[in-house]
Order: sequence, then structure tokens, then C-alpha cells
Amino acid sequence: MKRAGFGILSLLICAITDGSEVAKVPVETFELSNGMKFLAVVRPELATVSAGWVARVGSANERPGITGMSHFFEHMMFKGSRTLGTRNIERDLQIVEEQERLQDQMRAVYREQRERYRLGEIGDPFADDARPPELVELQRRFDALTEEQRELMVKDEYDRIYTAAGASGLNAFTSEDVTVYFLTVPANKLELWFWMESDRLLSPVFREFYSERDVVHEERRLRTESTPTGEFDEVFDAMFWQSHPYSWPVVGWPSDLRSYSLAQAREYFETYYAPGNLTAALVGNFDLEEARALAERYFGRLPAKEPAPDVVTLEMDPRAEKRMVAECDCQPQVELRYHSVPFRHRDSYALEVLAGLLNGRSGRLYKSLVLERGLAADVAASQDSRKYAGAFSLYAEARGGASPEDLERALLEEVRRIVDEPIPERELQKVKNQITASAYRQLSGGFHLLLQLLLYDGLGDWEYLNHWAETTLAVTDSDVKRAAERYLDPEERTVGLYYREREGVKP
Amino acid sequence: MNAGWALSVLLSAAPQSIPTRPEELRFDELRFDVPDPARYRHELPNGVAVYVAPDSTFPLISIRIQLRQGSYLEPEHKVGLAGLTGSLLRSGGTERLDPAAFDEEAEFLAAGISAFGGDSRAGANLDCITPVLDQSMDLFFEMLRHPRFDEARLTVEKENVLEAMRQRNDEPGDILAREWDWLLEGEKFYRSRRMTKDHMDAIARGDLVVFHEKYWRPENMVVTVSGDVDPAKILVKLDTYLSNWPGEGAPADWPPPQPTLEPRPGAYHVEKDIPQGTVVLGHSVPRWSDWDNPERAALQIMNHILGGSGFTSRITKRIRSDEGLAYDAGSSLGFDALGPGSFTVSFQSKNDTVALATEIALEEIERIRTEPAGDEEIAIAKASLIETFPRRFESAAQIAGIYAGDAFIGRSHDYWKSWRDQVRAVTADDVLRVARKYLRPDAIVFLVVGKWEEIAPGDANGRASMKDLFGGEVTHLPLRDPLTLKVLP
Repeated sequence: MKRAGFGILSLLICAITDGSEVAKVPVETFELSNGMKFLAVVRPELATVSAGWVARVGSANERPGITGMSHFFEHMMFKGSRTLGTRNIERDLQIVEEQERLQDQMRAVYREQRERYRLGEIGDPFADDARPPELVELQRRFDALTEEQRELMVKDEYDRIYTAAGASGLNAFTSEDVTVYFLTVPANKLELWFWMESDRLLSPVFREFYSERDVVHEERRLRTESTPTGEFDEVFDAMFWQSHPYSWPVVGWPSDLRSYSLAQAREYFETYYAPGNLTAALVGNFDLEEARALAERYFGRLPAKEPAPDVVTLEMDPRAEKRMVAECDCQPQVELRYHSVPFRHRDSYALEVLAGLLNGRSGRLYKSLVLERGLAADVAASQDSRKYAGAFSLYAEARGGASPEDLERALLEEVRRIVDEPIPERELQKVKNQITASAYRQLSGGFHLLLQLLLYDGLGDWEYLNHWAETTLAVTDSDVKRAAERYLDPEERTVGLYYREREGVKP
Repeated sequence: MNAGWALSVLLSAAPQSIPTRPEELRFDELRFDVPDPARYRHELPNGVAVYVAPDSTFPLISIRIQLRQGSYLEPEHKVGLAGLTGSLLRSGGTERLDPAAFDEEAEFLAAGISAFGGDSRAGANLDCITPVLDQSMDLFFEMLRHPRFDEARLTVEKENVLEAMRQRNDEPGDILAREWDWLLEGEKFYRSRRMTKDHMDAIARGDLVVFHEKYWRPENMVVTVSGDVDPAKILVKLDTYLSNWPGEGAPADWPPPQPTLEPRPGAYHVEKDIPQGTVVLGHSVPRWSDWDNPERAALQIMNHILGGSGFTSRITKRIRSDEGLAYDAGSSLGFDALGPGSFTVSFQSKNDTVALATEIALEEIERIRTEPAGDEEIAIAKASLIETFPRRFESAAQIAGIYAGDAFIGRSHDYWKSWRDQVRAVTADDVLRVARKYLRPDAIVFLVVGKWEEIAPGDANGRASMKDLFGGEVTHLPLRDPLTLKVLP
């Protein structure tokens, strides 16, 4: 990477660089004839290649009944293929189909169970102790097939091959908008990545579909049900998003997790894991032409398909203030959330600057709520720019006897000040200096850069990486005031008020 | 870059067809020589070790200072003093600048400046961009040499700490960590004890001033610098900042004291009304000071196979992948140069399958102690440890950090040169021998936070219950008052 030429200016002039050069990443791009896109950043100083790909699919692409499917898929993609994961692919596939027929019968029983639940005859329709005998019998036959399949399986072979090859950081994540798969391999083993990733896209086998569902359920218990505010965060999201599919959690509703079928999963895969819906990225020590040839040879095998459907439901304009009052094992705290704008929207940059003015030890929220007024122990502001819509949040955690309502009032006053009072030039410059510095920090570290490229391209365009700093540095004080006034309308806020559960830390 | 890559890769006659299995792929050799530590190590005239790894790829600089001191040096009735000194060092301003002015200047420079006081290590870090290096270093060392420990900020900090204390029983993981430390090392030992409100009330500004004067001194420091710097110039600058340090001082007592408690094996439980039990089980392992001992490589391979390498390892495979009992399940083997380390298995499972997952973990611990590991398992573990090794030295910051870490704990830099050979030499017999020697089923302490009435009976299919484990006995630990840590009525 070529160094930018810095003109070092005196601090009295304020800007920490002359602004003529903002850090940029030289990214090579190419596209295969099937529509799959590649981003490549060559870094000869590294001993590795960090590699990954993003599928432009997340919980926003789901519908009631299959919520959590995108995230579930992320798990299933590690289960192998026709080549990896079994010693006898014919029998393995037969077992998958036989198990699916049993599951179809079980789903029919659960349909009756839901009916009994609606009539008040049973409680949780999925509870173990509510199982009718036929369900127990179906489960027994299912388990027997699992046993047989396990005899043929090469467990977690995908992981083992990578591990033995010195890969590290093998993982994936799912959001409302994207699903990202990544790892780091030694620089001499890039072809292994091409082999393994194209293989699991070309002929995935969703074996262990139903036991993996239990793992996801444990993940939900871990992140949502056993944390102090996890379940209220779900309530709050569902309340905030009125019409948009952002209203359900990425992990999915528990009853949906218990109900998907393999057929639904396959349809999902065919629709959203087509090459035209994928972008791959490589950052590290490799030869660009070689990588291009490997991409063609391996991923060129994926057949092109119809473009994936767009998410058509737009979020309704907010019509009323909404409030949630929660009691939990947590500090009294408040979140104020407003509908704002999605990724790359022209106003998103001013909202980022607004968050910058509010955040930090010398930022407005800390100075006012923590230091001067002693109301809060912790404060934060953030602009969450998703693919289809966005939200701006203000958050504070109480100190001493402050109530969530006190915090709410104090936060609203700080918003008012942004709108009503002039923003000092030096304060704005401070935020911009931080943007200049983070534009450089984001470049160091191959793996971090990889994730950003994939995330940004998944949300819309990787070039955001090279544009955001420049665009944000051009934001003026009046842009910030205008954005605050337009999006942080006090009458359209959604408020989450959290109280510590009334006495009796339960024995 | 500084590291010695010899990468004779790619574009060599790559086959044009796609092999049917990944094992058929052939790769060029990736040679890696451990960077020569002598190129990074320097010493200031006052004896402070400085590791400098220049790298001008980006206009970014990191300075990390580690100090051999910590909470083991604080008086027993002022638990938390070391930590408060670290946080107030950063937030309490300097003699010249009041706290708000200091924060304003640091954030205007976009310089990341931080300080912390830990159990057996304190530290301060600076991250900045090249154009403002001089101003940032001035500010950073002004903080270290002439802190103000502003009284009003101390009050704010104490109130914030109090709010953090109130949350001690909110997260199951926090309760688990606290009780686990106490079960292994007792409530009084420096690294397991916790600050109470009484401790905090007893700490006054003067205590911070004295703690800083005595222990935040060059005599205790190891410094690393990485990024866009000229080593000769930066050493001259560091010498200016670190010589003529105010006051008199001597190196802090080192190493920290050792625990005296003998942990009592068995099952322990803390009640919390949540659907999932969070579990840790294991025991301590001896303090590790002989870094030439080849058992270390064998132990790492043993843990890799048992539960340290994700899906490839036995515990994760059985508890998560086979049975779907947990999202996160694995083992860890921590080596510590300053005190006992620990061997632990951790997982979270719905209350009624805690017993089943525990039974599986115990079976696997027993199996690795009694049956030789498979050749393939050992080969995979070795290949993984050897192939990922160069990655530790990939960036300037990592190289400087590794060698400074050696200096901090008093390990020879040569350790890294022979490390891969030590891994290669490990046999299945070695793995079995170290598993027998270091894993002690009789010493296992089991701790779960969750809902006992669901945990105790076990799963609906009757596959395991807590009655079958640890002699069917359990000690129910009471929840503590979050501010006093006294037993709640």
C-alpha cells in the first residue's frame, strides 16, 4: 500500500491532517459469468490470506413461519457436502430422505398439538411431557436412523480438513441483512479455500438438520433467554419496527425453529445462495491472476440463477410515540430509538457525525449526563444503518437514584441543544479528526479489512469503504442540525424503560 | 515487513483440473523463520527494555507499556486500589490539564490513550496516527508522570464502580466467574478477591497518589513500540520521557504471592431462574516456569484433541455436534507463569441436560487419560499448531508484543525457536502420559449457575441426572449481596 503524503499542520489550525489525502484501499474486482463477484486486496507483507464470502440474505428475507432460517442456514453450511462428511453418500442421502418423511409425520402431529394448545388442552405444544405416544414412537424411529447415519458419517470433516491445514478463525455470522462466512489460511493454501467453499455451495447436504436445530435453540437460550435484557430487546425491536421484517429476531421465534422442513431449507438455499447473490473477498499474500483463474475454475461451476427477490415491505412512517416498560435483573436504563435512514443514504453521514458529537469522554452525553449532572454511569449514541432502513439510538444507564425517565429527559435535552444551539467549529473538527484516524485504522489487519469488504458489499457496495470518510468530512454543522431535527422527532420516538426488578434478589 | 517470509508460492504448475478430494491438492512449501529477537530488543540507559517493530505500511503507531505490579500490592482493606489507580490515571487529568481538558485534547488528536491496573500487570497504551505522534506522546507521558488524580473525577469513578457492583448478580456468567475464582483460590487471594463498597469507601485520593508513586515507575516497565517509527529516533524520545522520573523508587516485589487454599472437589450450584445452566468444571494446574519442559507441547496437543479446537475436538463434537446439548462447549488449559493455571471444561445447556453434558465431559476426560489418542487426531493437532504458528508473528505489533511478553514473565526469547520442533516430537505416549499426570478427575470442581429443580432430575429421557454425578452430592452456594458480598438472607 502506498503511503498517503501527509501535510502536517499545526494543531492551532485544528485539522490533524490536511485532508487532501484520505486513506483508500486498492481493491481489485472481477465478476464470473454466473454473476458471482470477487474483491481482492493483495498484501505481500502477510503470511496468510483471509478469505470469505457474503450471501445477501438475512432475517429480513424471511417471513412468519420461517423466522431464523437465515441464521439456521449459517449452521447447516458447516455440515458437509456429497464429498465431505460421509463414507457412503448413497445411504447417507437415503437416510436424510427417510428422516424427512418421519419429520413430515411429526409435523402433522404437531399441527394437532397446536390445535390442542389453542383449545387450552395442553400448555407448550412442544413440551416433552406433552408428547402423544405416536410422537414418541416417531422420534424413536428417527433416532435409530440418526444412529445409522452416524456410523457412516465423517463428523465435522469440513472443520477438520481446514484445521489440519492450518486454517484459523473459521466461522460465520448472520445479521438482518447478510450472512458472512470467513477464515484465514496460510498463504500457500489459498486453493484449499477455493476447493472447500465451492464444494459446499455446489453440493451441500443438510445432514443433522434436526439436531442442529437443538444447538440453535441453545444459542437462543444463551444469548436471549438467559441474559438480563435479551427477551426485552426482542420486545423492543418488535415494537419499533411496525411493518418491516426487521421486527423479528435473527435467531428466529422458538416455535418457527421447531417447525421448518428440509424442503423449506432447500428452497431458501436455491433462492438466496445463487452465485449472483454472493460476493467473495480475499485479503493477503496471493497472486491476483492466479486467484482469478482459481475463481473461474472452482466457482465458475455454480450455475447462474434468477436474481433473488427484493424485500418489498417498506417501514411505515411512525405515527405515535411508543413506550415499553420492563422489569429485569438489570441496571435502570433507557433507550430512545428513532427511525432514521439506511446504509449509504445521503443523510447517514450527518447522523454519524451527530453520534460522534454525542459520544466519547469529551462528547456531549458523557459531559452532561455523567459528569455534570451525575445521572448516568454509561451513555451512548449510534446510527444503525441497515440495508433497507435505519435507526438512531440514544442510550443511558442510571447512576445513583436517577430513574429511566430522568435519563430520558436529559437525553431529549441534548438532542434539543443540537437543534437549537450553534455547534462550535472545534467540536465538529474533533469528530472529523477521529474520522480521519479511523479511516487509517480500518486498513490495518487483513482479517478486519476482509470483514468490512464483505459487510459493505453485502449491504450495498464495498466502495463505501473508500468513500465514507471523505463524504463524512464534508458534513457541515447545518447538515447535522437538519438531520437531528428531521429524524429525532420527539413525538415519533420509541422508548424502552428498564427498571431493576423489585426487591428480592430471588433465592 | 520485518518477519522472514520465504514464500515460494503460487503460479507454479497448478493443475487445471479439480481434484475429487481436498487431500489431493498439492501446496508449495511456506517457509517461516522466527524473527530474530535481537533486532527488536533495545535497552534504555536506565535499564528499561524496549521492543521496537517498525512498519511504515500505514501512518499508525502503537506504544504499549506493561508494568510488573498489580493488586497483590494493595492493602487488604483497600481491595480495588490498583484498579482505581489505573482508571483514575487516565480519567483524572494531569497537573497541567484538568480532566475535561485532557480528554478534550486526547480526543481532538484522535489518540487512543488508556491505562489499567490489573492483578499482576498494569499497563498504559497509546494509539495514534503519525502526524500527531509528538503531541500524543507528550500527552501520554504527561499522564504517566504527572497525573492529577482529580478528586471530583474520583467521586464519579467510584459512583460508576458502585453501579457496576450492583450488576454482579445479573449475568449468570458473572456469578459463575466469581464463585469459580473463590472455589479455586478463596475469597482472600489477590486475584480472586473482589472489591466491596467498604473497600471502596476506604480508598482516598492520597492512596492513589502513593500507589502511583511507588509502582507506576520505569523500574517496573517493559515497553513496546510498533508501527510508523524510526527506531533510533523513538528510543531517544522514550529516553527523554522515561529518565529522571519523579521521586525515588525500586522495582516492585515480584513475582506475586501464591495461593494457599486447597480447593474442595465436588459439585456446587448457585440458583438463578434461567432456562439454561451455565457450567464450568475443572481444577488448577501448577504454575508454569520451566518453559523448556517438552510436556507443554504435549499438553497443548492433548487439549487440542480433548476440547480446545472447536468441532475437531472431542468434547465439542460430542456435546454440541452429536447431541445438540450446547452452542458453546470446549476445554481450555491455561498456563500461567505467575501462579497456578487451570484446566477447565465450559458449556451452557438447558437446565435438564446439564447432567447429560457433564457426564459426557467427564467421560471424555477419563478417556483421554486411559486410551492413547488416535494417530490422525495427533497429526491434525500437530499440523494445526505448526501451521498457525507463523500467524503469531504476522504484524509488527504482534512481534514486538510476543517478545515484550517474554521479557515481562522472564522467559527466554529462544522459546519460540524450538517451539515447532517440540510440537513435532510429541508422541501418542507423551499425550497419554501428560493427560494422566495433569488431569486429575478426583480433584474436579463442578459449578453450575441455573435452576436447580430442573437441573437435578436431568433429562426427560432419563439419560443422566445429577444423582449419578459427584457422589450425588451438591453444595448450594448462596447468592451474595452485590455491594458487601455478604451472604444474602
